Amino acid sequence: MTALAVDIIAEAVARGEPQLSEGDAKAFLRSWSVPTARERLVADADAARRAAADLGYPVVLKGCAPGILHKTERGLVEMDIRDAAGVTAAFDRLMERMGPGGAVLVQELVRGARELAAGLVRDPQYGPCVMFGLGGIFAEALADVTFRLAPFDQREAQAMIREIRGARVLGAIRGMPAVDLDALVDVLVALARIGIACPAIREIDINPLIVRGATPVAVDALIVLEPQSRPQGRR
Amino acid sequence: MFRPRSVAVVGASRGVSATGSVKLGTAALEHLVAHGFPGRIYPVNPKEPELMGLPCYARLREIPDDVDLALLLVPAEACVDAVRECAAKRIKAAIVFSSGFAEAGDVALQAALVRTAREGGVRLCGPNTAGVVDVAGRLVCSISMVCALNPFREGPIAFITQSGALGGSMLGRGMEQGVGFSHWVSTGNEADLDAADYIEYLLPDDRVKVFALFLEGLRDVPRFLDICRKAARARKPIVVYKTGRSEVGRETARSHTGALAGSDQMFTALCGQFGLVRVDDLADLFPTALAFAWTVGKLPRGPRLGVISASGGVCGVAADECALAGLDIPELTEVGKARIRAFVPAFASVRNPIDVTGQIRSSATGYQDAVRTVLGEDYIDAVLLLVTMAAEPRASFYGREISGLARDAMKPVFVVWTGPVSLASEGFPMFRENRVPMFLSVRTAVNAMKALVDYAASLDRLEATP
Repeated sequence: MTALAVDIIAEAVARGEPQLSEGDAKAFLRSWSVPTARERLVADADAARRAAADLGYPVVLKGCAPGILHKTERGLVEMDIRDAAGVTAAFDRLMERMGPGGAVLVQELVRGARELAAGLVRDPQYGPCVMFGLGGIFAEALADVTFRLAPFDQREAQAMIREIRGARVLGAIRGMPAVDLDALVDVLVALARIGIACPAIREIDINPLIVRGATPVAVDALIVLEPQSRPQGRR
Repeated sequence: MFRPRSVAVVGASRGVSATGSVKLGTAALEHLVAHGFPGRIYPVNPKEPELMGLPCYARLREIPDDVDLALLLVPAEACVDAVRECAAKRIKAAIVFSSGFAEAGDVALQAALVRTAREGGVRLCGPNTAGVVDVAGRLVCSISMVCALNPFREGPIAFITQSGALGGSMLGRGMEQGVGFSHWVSTGNEADLDAADYIEYLLPDDRVKVFALFLEGLRDVPRFLDICRKAARARKPIVVYKTGRSEVGRETARSHTGALAGSDQMFTALCGQFGLVRVDDLADLFPTALAFAWTVGKLPRGPRLGVISASGGVCGVAADECALAGLDIPELTEVGKARIRAFVPAFASVRNPIDVTGQIRSSATGYQDAVRTVLGEDYIDAVLLLVTMAAEPRASFYGREISGLARDAMKPVFVVWTGPVSLASEGFPMFRENRVPMFLSVRTAVNAMKALVDYAASLDRLEATP
């Protein structure tokens, strides 16, 4: 694990947080070479506009704080912002909805029709297990997912990917290129390694993992931490 | 436990209980004797001077000779003392049939039982077990009514179940259908020995070619995985039916992954990764296990099937089932088609699935040549032969010829018999005698073939792992 990854986890654990913020979760995953959407964490509207200009329009703005789950349902995702005025308005709305202590994640808008999901869960009997399957908002309704017990190698990851019912979606269909399976395998193997190397992590969701062209890109990520036996106070 | 020279039956009895049912102590003794155990048997019961013509002892310690195995059929509360007496008599293994332990809520009593056993160097099967059977050794230590089938049918399957009653039922049904067993173990509460222990013990036994498991739960997953790896290396497949499909994901999960992850999903993952074969239908357990026992030496290299029948109708059924299961039925090459055309009636279809038509009967060797040709095509990994309405003597023709083809083939050959078995009294048994995987259901055959393909792929990946 890189020093950055260790620090991200250690700080969250020290603060007694149940899960990482989206920004931290993605930074953690990037340290393990998982491709993520380009994004910046900002605390004021000026910084938000600069970030949007750097990343390139259109952008997505999201409310970002450690305690936040279910951003969409809470109105904390502002999609498809096309100019500076839009950034300002979106930024203000998000800060109002979150209240004090929140920050905003300005993210490139990643386009891709194919939404996948990958994750990690720590089963009390089976240990760390990695999940792969179809993602997006219907992930739980479709439940087209497979699992593998960590650790496993690339061949096993390849077998896992082929097992989903919707495997044809990964091929060259409807004018889209075939998904870069090596890149997908790398994500799954990385999750397996994280499961073994980081006992402080209880669950990971990467959903959606959007396929842009042929490349899977983590657009949202949730990393849930194991509950600490002695609760630490918030600083 | 499996090869005792002498067995003590503690709590042996005669006759029936007040309600008219056979006492467990009576059943255990009768079954052991009736199945012809060749070693010494010592009934133990202070109330009886003799049972079944054998001198009966009041206590274990009064038995003058050494005893290798004890069957315990006394009430649960008396079992702890009984185990202590086993230890004092240096009996190394005990099979505890008595119920009323953890399964009835008395965890403390079961813990006491195990503690006493461990302190005394006694290994325990059970408690609450239906028994242990070694068929070739004529060791039948069981209270199950299935023991009325005598003798037990011998075969390549070691059957290990976590349910005693269901285990006995399945054993009997299997034997009735011609399935043979090397061993049966009902693991009971698994207070001491568990399913993984029995598999590990039986792995080196030459009579065991395949394991069939009925599982409800796994206690120690890492140990179980270790055993699975050993079984894969030993090329002894483990075919398993496990309950728990209807368990839901954890409600406390905060993530989608957590919500989707049920322990049944993990078990399926485990099967794929460690070379276990999971069946979805209980009725498929033994036919699949037998098929594996007989084809583990010629695993398919891929999922491409050649399908042959004398009926177009059943070819359609097979095509549908293969599509459902994820097996390919590749188009034959022009060269392949030309080769087969030489052997079949002119109006036969030489598309795969190949319908050689009922007229194939008019040729003495056309069927065999067609099958041999398909087996020889390098893009075909396995062959499925579907036999429709065949009465004697045609049934014997198929039995003989297909057995020969399967024996000589380097690829797996499965057979589905769709017609009445009673009209094939000589031909039908030939398949089992010649170890040709035989099925009465197209779906079971196709699922077993898919399982064989997946098993081959799992072994490949397992072997590639350092």
